[in-house]
Amino acid sequence: MSDSSQNSGRFPFYGPQGRLVLVDSALEAVSRGSTTIGIKTPNFAMIASQIKPTHPLIEPSEKIFPIDFHIGATGSGYIGDILQLIDTLRLESQKHRLTYETPIDVDSLAKHLSSFLHNYTTYAVRPQAASVIITGEDQTGIQLYQVDPSGTFFRGSGFAIGQASDIALDVITKEYNKDMKIEQAVELGRKAIEKALGEKPIVETGIIEPGQTFRRIRTENT
Amino acid sequence: MTTIVGIKTKDGVVLGSDKRASKGFFIGSKIVQKIAKIDDTLAVAIAGQLSDAEYIIKVAKAERRLMELRRGFPLTIRESTRLIANIAYSGLRNYQPYYVELLVAGVDREGSHVYAADMSGAITEEDFASSGSGSPIAYGVLESLYNKDITNSQASEIASRAVSAAMERDPGSGNGINILAIQNLQKEAVA
Repeated sequence: MSDSSQNSGRFPFYGPQGRLVLVDSALEAVSRGSTTIGIKTPNFAMIASQIKPTHPLIEPSEKIFPIDFHIGATGSGYIGDILQLIDTLRLESQKHRLTYETPIDVDSLAKHLSSFLHNYTTYAVRPQAASVIITGEDQTGIQLYQVDPSGTFFRGSGFAIGQASDIALDVITKEYNKDMKIEQAVELGRKAIEKALGEKPIVETGIIEPGQTFRRIRTENT
Repeated sequence: MTTIVGIKTKDGVVLGSDKRASKGFFIGSKIVQKIAKIDDTLAVAIAGQLSDAEYIIKVAKAERRLMELRRGFPLTIRESTRLIANIAYSGLRNYQPYYVELLVAGVDREGSHVYAADMSGAITEEDFASSGSGSPIAYGVLESLYNKDITNSQASEIASRAVSAAMERDPGSGNGINILAIQNLQKEAVA
C-alpha cells in the first residue's frame, strides 16, 4: 500500500488548502522586496522603486530598467530573478523588431512575461520570486502593467508591490488624480513609499511620455 | 512565368494578375488564382512556385490572426510584409529557397501600401510594382499611365491594361485577368 499522504512520491505543487505552495512562497518573498510603485495617467506614466541602502562602499543596484526606447520596467523581489526577467523582456522586444520591424506593444510584452512566469508554476522548479511593473507607450497609448510570479498580470493606473505595498497602494489610491502633472506623480510615488516604510527612502524613478523615450531619474537621498 | 501588378492609389490598393500556370512549354492551367486574400485588409499576388507561395501565405495568415488576437489590434501592412519576407529568407538560408516573388498590398491605419517581397528576404515599398515573366511589359504600361492621384477604379483599369499587354507578348502569361481592389479603412469620425 502506498503512503497515506495524497502527494506520496509526487512533487507537492498543491498544499492542503489547494494552493500552489511554491507560488505562495514566491509571492511572500516579493512582499519582502523593496517597495515599488507604478502610476499612470492619460498623459504619462511613472514607475518608482525604493533603493535599499547597503554599505557606504557598495553601490546600490539599479532598479529602473529601460527595456526598449519606448518601454521601461521595474520589479520587486530577489534582484537576481528580477534581472533575469528584465533580460527576457529586452530579448522579446528585440525579437519583435526583427520579426515585424516595429517596436513591440506593451500588452504583448506583459503577456509574454506572464506565460514565461507561468511556465515555472507547472514544473518541479523554483518559481521566480519577482513581481514586475512594466510601463511604455505604444499604438494604444500609455500603458501600465503588473505581472506576478504566478503569471497573473494586471493592467491599471496604480500599482504597488514589495514591502508594505498595501499601505503604498492606499496612499496612491487616495491621492490619485488623472489630471496630475509628472512632478506631482513623482512626489506621490515618493510619499507612498515613504508612508509604507515609515522613513525617507532613496527612490529611483522612470518616466514615459508620449513621443519620448523612456527616461530614468536617479534621486539622491534628500 | 506569370504577370502580376500592384498599384497604390489615393483610396486604397489594386492587385492584378493573369491566370496561366505554365509547365515548361505546356499550359498547366488556365484558371489559376494568383491573388490570395489574407483577410479583408491584406492580399498577396503570387509569382513563382505556387506551392511555396501558398505555404508562406498560410503561415502568414495564421501568424497575423494570432498577433491580432494577442495584442488586440492587427499587424500593419509593413509588419505583415516583414513577417512574410522573414519566412522567405529562412528558406534561402537553408539552401531551400521558397521560389517566390510576392506583391503584398493592403490598407491599415496609416493608409494604403504596396510592397514587393521575394525569396532574398528584401522588401521594398512601391507606388506600383510588377513581377513575373511579363513584368517588363507590364511596367511599360504602368510607367506611362500611373500617377499618384488615381482612384481604385482607375487603377483597376490600368492594372488590367498592364496585364493584358503582357499577355499579348509574354508566352508565360495569358488566359484572362483577375483584379482585386481594397478600399482604405474608413477614417474614424473625430469627436
